[in-house]
Amino acid sequence: MMTQITKRNANKFLKDEFDELVKNHFEWNIRILESGSKPHSIVNGKEVIMMCSNNYLNLSNHPRLIKGAIDAATKYGAGSGSVRAIAGTLKIHIEVEKRLAKFKRTESALIYQTGFAANAGLIPQLVGDGDIVISDELNHGSIIDGVRLTKADRAIFKHRDVGDLERVLKEADKKYRRILIISDGVFSMDGDIAPMDKIVKLANEFGAMTYADDAHGEGVLGEDGRGIGAHFHIEGKIDVEMGTFSKAFGVVGGLIAGSQDLVNFAYNKSRTWLLSGSHPPAVSGAQLAAIDVLETEPEHVKRLWDNTTYFKKELKSLGFDTGDSETPITPVIVGDSGKAKELSNRLFDEGVFALPIVFPMVARDKARIRTMMNAGLTRKDLDVALDKFEKLGKQLSIL
Amino acid sequence: MSVKIGFLVNPIAGMGGRVGLKGTDNVLDKAVKLGARPVARQRAEDMLAEFTALSSNSHDIIWVTCGGDMGSNELKAAGIKNPKILYSPSRKTTLADDTKNACRKFLNQNIDLLVFCGGDGTARDIFTIVDKKVPLLGIPAGVKMHSGVFGITTNATAKMLDEFINKRLTVGDAEIMDLDEELYRKGEWKVRLFGIVKGIIEPTYIQVGKTCFESVSDDEVKDELTEHVKEEMDKHQDSLFLFCAGGTINYIAKKLNLEHTLLGIDAVYQKQIVAKDVNEEQILRLLKKYSKVKILLSPIGAQGFILGRGNLQLSPTVINRIGIDNIIVVATPSKLIHTPILRVDTGDKKLDHLFARQGYLMVVIGYRFSRVVKLQTNTF
Repeated sequence: MMTQITKRNANKFLKDEFDELVKNHFEWNIRILESGSKPHSIVNGKEVIMMCSNNYLNLSNHPRLIKGAIDAATKYGAGSGSVRAIAGTLKIHIEVEKRLAKFKRTESALIYQTGFAANAGLIPQLVGDGDIVISDELNHGSIIDGVRLTKADRAIFKHRDVGDLERVLKEADKKYRRILIISDGVFSMDGDIAPMDKIVKLANEFGAMTYADDAHGEGVLGEDGRGIGAHFHIEGKIDVEMGTFSKAFGVVGGLIAGSQDLVNFAYNKSRTWLLSGSHPPAVSGAQLAAIDVLETEPEHVKRLWDNTTYFKKELKSLGFDTGDSETPITPVIVGDSGKAKELSNRLFDEGVFALPIVFPMVARDKARIRTMMNAGLTRKDLDVALDKFEKLGKQLSIL
Repeated sequence: MSVKIGFLVNPIAGMGGRVGLKGTDNVLDKAVKLGARPVARQRAEDMLAEFTALSSNSHDIIWVTCGGDMGSNELKAAGIKNPKILYSPSRKTTLADDTKNACRKFLNQNIDLLVFCGGDGTARDIFTIVDKKVPLLGIPAGVKMHSGVFGITTNATAKMLDEFINKRLTVGDAEIMDLDEELYRKGEWKVRLFGIVKGIIEPTYIQVGKTCFESVSDDEVKDELTEHVKEEMDKHQDSLFLFCAGGTINYIAKKLNLEHTLLGIDAVYQKQIVAKDVNEEQILRLLKKYSKVKILLSPIGAQGFILGRGNLQLSPTVINRIGIDNIIVVATPSKLIHTPILRVDTGDKKLDHLFARQGYLMVVIGYRFSRVVKLQTNTF
């Protein structure tokens, strides 16, 4: 007779760890959009004003992008058949990259599968043993993960503090081969902007390489939304301008823009690029159309900023603290974490969808609602949202 | 869930300060004759008042304390009713023995935290009984407060207490420091490390998702530091490493299977201890034998000293010979939150000046991970 010996329960931890998350209220409650990401979305069956998507320019439902996707799918099919390096580079991929370089005013550009894939694939190749990565202390998690994959040492500098960066550079200069400075362009929690012009200037003094993760600046900052380089008029001077098609561009996909040397290096070395399948043609078609729209329809970026300016001004005049934000990410600082969660839930009940950001992402007494503006929201929508903020702000004694 | 807090006041702490004595240890009569007034009671009451104003959770707290000015009077004044009195001193003026006896009683009651009001002397007395069994939080009231268990002000202490009760702070190592009495009798004012206790600290967080963070235990951070030090030792196999005093270095040494002297300096070569608990003279002898030496240090105590407190064997002569570029400073991020400035007081003006000129120091805060921290050389 065969006896079954159970050495260990291979899958028990899955349930145990999930139960633990649920117990501490740390699990994600996924909300389901029944409508596509629009200024007015149907979320969990309820119509809400969308203030927490990254679809800043409302391009994800733009007719030209939808047509671009359909046309590309009709021409090239649903999938690409391979990784880019072997047999998965379609003409349309190259077209996107050429158009992107022109849009970014850089020599060259490269598309990655996602923004995360760009950071996780490229950063570990740019530095190695004997090198150092110097990073803003509030940089996004994907940068931190990219840095963790390197053999390089890491140092952080105080948030947006060029003086502190200089001190680190002075120390690093003594003993490292290569120095790579990485910063978010727009910081996703506070909506503030990295002083990229000063960082580039300082980097040049020390012979350090610069890398800006412009995920929240792409399509938002600078002329026609060309990003952080255009914002500071230093196009082509940031060694690596990294960004994404998933936010303001309304599609999906990571990108880097810079010199031809950078691009040649990047696609030959980034493991994420080399080892994942390339974008389906429909994605590339929509990306191409998004660049078209940005180049020919300046009204979207303008409306985004008009909305942002109005919303920030009105929030302030209601008495809300909106922090140091300079971008369409506007935090409404509430203070206590419990209150921020409560306000977010009640806003949702009243038809406004915005997420709370609580400790430890922000300081204990700086819990907030993070609002993200959308160019497709009308003045009337914003007034409705402001009304709800005012009413609930008073009810919860925030105002 | 209720929290049980032991509350202890050393009523005579801090009385020596205004009359120019270095604490009240063994000189209380003299202090009183010079006109010293009690300060501890007021400090304790201030902290309790600030805490009750802050706290939303006060009904969940069980207070256990001592009679009279050793705790119950202060609690009463702050409106905290019916604390359980576990110990009462037999005389009017209290002694170190009263503090120690009270601690023994507290330990029998399985308290979650011991809040005390006093200075380094009081902390030391508590340490001898409590050791690492219960975390400590000090209300600053003494003349000497170099130990890492004190809040910076009574208000900061009240906040820390509230955060601890609401489980937003965690438990980690803290140093007990005090005047080296032997040296003091010879006329030298030197502070030395007496031991490691549990204090309450800010947790370290890492981002695991876009809007999701996980807190990392103090030990996990120290494990990362250990990895870093291990690699440094692999890289510099021809160097002698001096493992200095303190909890962080002690943890790293233990993880490397070294029998480290918690309160002293050990010399390690190729991952073996070659000399234990060395003094200045022994270090100088080692320097003749080993041409390449690195010093592994961590800030100890409340003021962030890396040199000049606790590591007295590292005399100016020793540091000059080894070179300040060969000093590796490691610290947990939670420690740097409370001591954002590192301090150096070598006793040698020229050497202090060398540090001052540097202005900042790279401090290792994780595996291959560092940040610059301001360095100050003026003394207290």
